[in-house]
Amino acid sequence: MLSLGFWEPVLILAGLNAIIAIGVYITLMSGQASLAHAAFAGIGAYSAAVLTTNFHVPFPLAILAGMSVGLVGGALLSLVTMRMSLLVVALTTLGFGETMVVIAFNIEYLGGAQSFSGIPLYTSIGLVYAVLALVLFVAWRFDHSRLGLAARAVRDSSVTAAAMGINVPLVRILTFALGGGIAALGGGLSAHYTLVINPGDMTFFESFRYKLFVLTGGSYTFLGPLAGALALTLLPEALRVALALSDVLSQSLRFMIYGIIVVLVVIWRPQGVITRVPTGVRARFPWPGRPAARVSPAAKVAALAAESRADRADASLGSPGADRP
Amino acid sequence: MEQLIQHVINGAMVGSTYAVVAVGFALTFSVLRVINVAHPEVFMLAMFTGLVVVQALTQNFLIVLVIAATAALVAGLAIERAVLRPLRRADLLMPMIATAGVSVFLQYGVQGVAGPDELRFPRILPFAPLEVGAITVTSLQLITFGIAVLILLACSFYVRRTRWGLAARAVAERPDIAATFGVNVSRVAQITVGLSSFMAGAAGVGIAVLYGSAWSFVGLLYGLKSWVCMLVAGNRHIEAVMLVGIMLGILEALTTAYVSSSFRDAVAFVVLIVVLYKRPDGLFGSYSY
Repeated sequence: MLSLGFWEPVLILAGLNAIIAIGVYITLMSGQASLAHAAFAGIGAYSAAVLTTNFHVPFPLAILAGMSVGLVGGALLSLVTMRMSLLVVALTTLGFGETMVVIAFNIEYLGGAQSFSGIPLYTSIGLVYAVLALVLFVAWRFDHSRLGLAARAVRDSSVTAAAMGINVPLVRILTFALGGGIAALGGGLSAHYTLVINPGDMTFFESFRYKLFVLTGGSYTFLGPLAGALALTLLPEALRVALALSDVLSQSLRFMIYGIIVVLVVIWRPQGVITRVPTGVRARFPWPGRPAARVSPAAKVAALAAESRADRADASLGSPGADRP
Repeated sequence: MEQLIQHVINGAMVGSTYAVVAVGFALTFSVLRVINVAHPEVFMLAMFTGLVVVQALTQNFLIVLVIAATAALVAGLAIERAVLRPLRRADLLMPMIATAGVSVFLQYGVQGVAGPDELRFPRILPFAPLEVGAITVTSLQLITFGIAVLILLACSFYVRRTRWGLAARAVAERPDIAATFGVNVSRVAQITVGLSSFMAGAAGVGIAVLYGSAWSFVGLLYGLKSWVCMLVAGNRHIEAVMLVGIMLGILEALTTAYVSSSFRDAVAFVVLIVVLYKRPDGLFGSYSY
């Protein structure tokens, strides 16, 4: 096994963050700005860790069990937030996450405020990146699936989507469940690496971080959350090395720089850094058995619409004079 | 019974400060359609400005209040100019993320200067307990409560009775149509953010004196509570937001007293989820956004 020294834990963390960010991305794709994904990661982590630590269930089974708890939780939460608008969903799911934190704090069996510890170590860097590759594959196929296209339509306008015959509630439930499940999967892996789970890992602050990864990276293609999670996890560590200080002042300085960079990136590219898959990449890696020429007309229209949306976003940046009230 | 009344009174005192922050938050949200995550950080900034003024300049409460609230006003306007205005045409979530960046910047900036620990804030107001039967209220509590109520009344007057308040309500209803009728939407946005920040600043000093402490991460708690107040009440009537803020304070005090202090923070969120499930626009209705 090759040794990466200082960077190995950082890379593992980046990989885990990327997995959870993909979960956030898939849920956001249908216009549900969830701030509960840290809670789903925590639910997955607690479920999987209790199974491996207290019941000696094999690791893969425990992870899958944690993931299914996240799936069910996501579906149920989407039923609650179904009628709400984007920002109200964000704050309601935030409330759900904070409630989970308080509940975890008050359950003795889960260690309460003392954290749940004694979890066996199973997660390695190889496993994290193998799972990340799998999750990326799922996200890539999701982007091109009927569900993915329907989700985009719902995100752009749920009323229009419903008028076109899309089952809006079903799309919302499925994407929330899938996103919650992937976040729980990431959480389960993370618990078997850090070996301890703290209720504080589920707070809105963490959820906000995942949302930050997705929105700064770009929330219209699965490459966005990947890039966002990797860059924004590595950035504070790179700053730590660059500043080479180790007191409170350096921590403050690091996060101040982090905050400024986030603000500047958002102002520079309000749609996220990556807005579409580069066309060259798409042509080079067509879905096996389905040549690029046989892409259905509907998908082409959807792709064109997505690209023109991205172009419009770029154009509107360049014309500050055109003032839409 | 006396105990119950005592808890209700204490809760209302705390709730009035939630109400001041929440009203500023709701004003910004309804006029700009932006969740200003950095709003509670402006509140925190005023606390520390107040601390500096007390230590370096004067112990006079009114002067401290005005200077700190003005500092908050300046900070709020700077955030509006630097972050919110460039993102006016962006996706709804982007200003939220950008102000979260600002908020991280401010939290750690203040932590870097003031250190990670809570700082003691001098009691610059008289602390005399007043007893009515078995109920005790301190003059400190009464003064901060009075200031909160004054701010809320002034805010209500501004929104309901002045030209700029009318313009703000028009923009909250339909920004495009308000603009057609000659409302300067950018200026209304600016004034709204300025006013909200000023109010938050005043509340910040009040809280710092009331609890006798200031620390760099206080915004997290107040931010969450004020979001809850705004959503539960709906942002159409700011008076409703005030009422819900005070009710939330009372509810929390009662939970702490009769259930468990560890469930105090969850109460707000359970109320939030139940109310929004039944009424997605809040109890008293919201502007469409």
